[in-house]
Amino acid sequence: MGRRRRLVDPAAEAGAGALPKVIAALSRSLPAGPSPEIFRRAKFDRPEAAPALWQLLFRLLSPRSADGASASLALEAQVCLVKSALRSQGYPRLVLAQLPEDGSRGSRELLLALSWLLARGPLPEQLLAQAHVQLGDEIPVCECEALASPGPRVPHVEAEGPVDIRCVQWLMGRLRFRWRCLIASQQEQCTLLSKIHLYTRGCHSDQRLGHLSVAETEMLRDPEGGQQLLRRLERENTGLEAALEWRRGELVFWRWMDTVLGACPPEAPAAATQPTFLPRIAERGLGRLELAARELRALQEELCEATGRRRAAWEARVGGQGRGPQWSSARQALQKAVEQELAALRWAWEQDRGPARPHGPHRLVRCEDEAPGGQHLRAAEVIQALRSQEACLEAALRRLQGQCRQELARLAGALPGLIWILPPRC
Amino acid sequence: MSIVTVQLGQCGNQIGFEVFDTLFSDSHSSQGLCSKRENEAYRASCKERFFNEEENGVPIARAVLVDMEPKVINQTLSKAAQSGRWKYGQHAYFCQKQGSGNNWAYGYSVHGPRHEESIMNLIQKEVEKCDSLSGFFIIMSMAGGTGSGIGAFVTQNLQDQYAHSLKMNQIIWPYGTGEVIVQNYNSILTLSHLYRSSDALLVHENDAVHKICAKLMNIKQISFSDINQVLAHQLGSVFQPVYCAEGSFHYRRNPLGDLMENLVPHPEFKMLGVRNIPQMSENSLAYSTFTWAGLLKHLRQMLISHAKMEEGIDWQVRPPLSGLPPLGKMPLNKELHFNTSIANLVILRGKDVQSADLEGFKDPALYTSWLHPIHALNVWKTQRAFSKYEKSASLVSNSQFLVKPLDMIVGKAWNMFASKAYLHQYTKFGIEEEDFLDSFTLLEQVVASYYNL
Repeated sequence: MGRRRRLVDPAAEAGAGALPKVIAALSRSLPAGPSPEIFRRAKFDRPEAAPALWQLLFRLLSPRSADGASASLALEAQVCLVKSALRSQGYPRLVLAQLPEDGSRGSRELLLALSWLLARGPLPEQLLAQAHVQLGDEIPVCECEALASPGPRVPHVEAEGPVDIRCVQWLMGRLRFRWRCLIASQQEQCTLLSKIHLYTRGCHSDQRLGHLSVAETEMLRDPEGGQQLLRRLERENTGLEAALEWRRGELVFWRWMDTVLGACPPEAPAAATQPTFLPRIAERGLGRLELAARELRALQEELCEATGRRRAAWEARVGGQGRGPQWSSARQALQKAVEQELAALRWAWEQDRGPARPHGPHRLVRCEDEAPGGQHLRAAEVIQALRSQEACLEAALRRLQGQCRQELARLAGALPGLIWILPPRC
Repeated sequence: MSIVTVQLGQCGNQIGFEVFDTLFSDSHSSQGLCSKRENEAYRASCKERFFNEEENGVPIARAVLVDMEPKVINQTLSKAAQSGRWKYGQHAYFCQKQGSGNNWAYGYSVHGPRHEESIMNLIQKEVEKCDSLSGFFIIMSMAGGTGSGIGAFVTQNLQDQYAHSLKMNQIIWPYGTGEVIVQNYNSILTLSHLYRSSDALLVHENDAVHKICAKLMNIKQISFSDINQVLAHQLGSVFQPVYCAEGSFHYRRNPLGDLMENLVPHPEFKMLGVRNIPQMSENSLAYSTFTWAGLLKHLRQMLISHAKMEEGIDWQVRPPLSGLPPLGKMPLNKELHFNTSIANLVILRGKDVQSADLEGFKDPALYTSWLHPIHALNVWKTQRAFSKYEKSASLVSNSQFLVKPLDMIVGKAWNMFASKAYLHQYTKFGIEEEDFLDSFTLLEQVVASYYNL
């Protein structure tokens, strides 16, 4: 288990009260952080400290979107999730996996797991960034976030017996209608956003923004809502201050964790030979990787073949020419031309790919004048990038549909005398 | 969310006027049987959906009027303006000086492309006035020349230009003994084109509505205005605001989307029928009381016995016993007594609506085997009463209601086509025999799909 090493900071060693303060700061910067007393008891592996630490780890490891639903999960379920999450992240100590499911024991091990997580990356800062209070109208400009968090896992249901295709078509149709209603709602949202931005021009104290966002307008319209927003901002500030305080004094914590590790019994010798758990690639994912690898290999072979053929043909045409001294200058000129062409192609390819695609959520601001570039992102550019993406996807869809049609035609051709009437296009 | 209505042809414009009038009157009615606050919310929701706010306060219908002759449009515009309560947009109409002689091909191939830009511009202007667009509601007849040919063309254009928006076509099914010789040709061309470009086809049969006027409303001299009012009542009862969910006090924001998602997600089954109960003349209304149990029992029997109104229902028709295939399952046996449903939407409005019990509609025997009643039945309930009816129940149904009429029209059109009667009127303007054959193929498929439920 690694951890950061810093130069010894004499100020951090000052005072016996420094440790509880630092632990309290750490707690405040994390969601559902337990009291310093829990930490102290955990060092001595007291059972009463275990549930709070299980819950803390659960909050840290469960996906962000599951916040509302996850709070109601039973302790056993939380324990299971924590164990599997830690395993898939590569937590090396086996003792954790062997802790009882009812969450009644193992507080010291949990403390070690927590510090392992803290050592791997800036955990409090990441969590605070995730829970950041948005004041502006945030619009995602890419699909990365939507693709990364696929939402709650839907239970895989096996159909009992054969399913009538009309039922499947029915359900597909419902999905399509929902999709269209969603688009209509989004268009409505855009219209209303546009109106709010237009009507509140000149109201914002920040000149660069110029108009209010929905959250800010709501704050003015509804004082109670404004109070709630203020409270959320204050909570966020508390968290940020706690994170700062934690960073200033964290060395004290790490030195203390050394003693906790020392208090642990040595691990069973068999554990040393066990390899760390690697994250499991889902079965299907593995299959796809293999497929992709096969396709790439096939493509590579094709390209080799094609270049080999071309080279052979060229050699045949040229014969034995091009070897004398009078050819060397010509050859050099040719080589240079080819290199230039290659460079031009590469450059064109880079340009074609366009500037770095915009990422992440951006604040939507309506501007009259041409703002100087820099960190601002123009809606027109984003729209263009999305349109080209759409065109690529549509081309891919048409290609796949064409393949499907060819396959259907082949199947239809296999049964002579049969007329296929396609259903009405949806 | 707002709905933009496109009124096409004589039929579409006259009906459209009645629809807006009904919606407006109902939303401003004082007999809503609910609190003032709720009434205001209802009115606001209806207004957002169908009307536009103006400075001097008179709401403007979100509609575009299209016809090839000026007479009906002028009548419609002035009728609306005269009422003083709501009106159409000053420039929200398009008309020409000449008609199209009930020639579908002329409407589709000549009028359509010629006036495409003007019409689509008008629609675009109307769309821009909406904060959010739920979709389009296109009212047209199926058998005439202008409404049907241009309607098919316009719907196709809407599909291209507003691919993500929802489109519902309100189609008027012609009288069986209609006067237009080529009405069957027009009908099959319209239906096949709409099936490809529209999301839902809400059908009203002239014959059925005529009977309602005669038997239920006791009208002696039935005019088109009477028929249109009955129609508007049925449509209003579907499109007026409804609550999101049981116990919620928010009105649904996208009723068109919710309706379509629940009823027509399958591309082969897009035909919807509407039944409304009770329907009676205003004079009788004051003397009648209803119970939800009674209304729902009648509505259910209307559904399963193909009845178009609450009088003359065949109570002998019963759902098939479980385990046995329902009658009419064999495609050769075209005698359908029992109406199998794919999906149903029941909308209840009025007093004590929470107590209404819909167990009768949840019977799996009513539905096709591949969709369970949990998914197939949807119920929307609202306390606010509709149009002076203390209790009213509507049923929008995707079922075998229209299979027989459709089959009949296809059969008649095919007979004419086989003897090449009147085809030159169509080929003259670019509708070739190939197009007819495509239409027949598509509609035969639709008929077969519905028979095989």
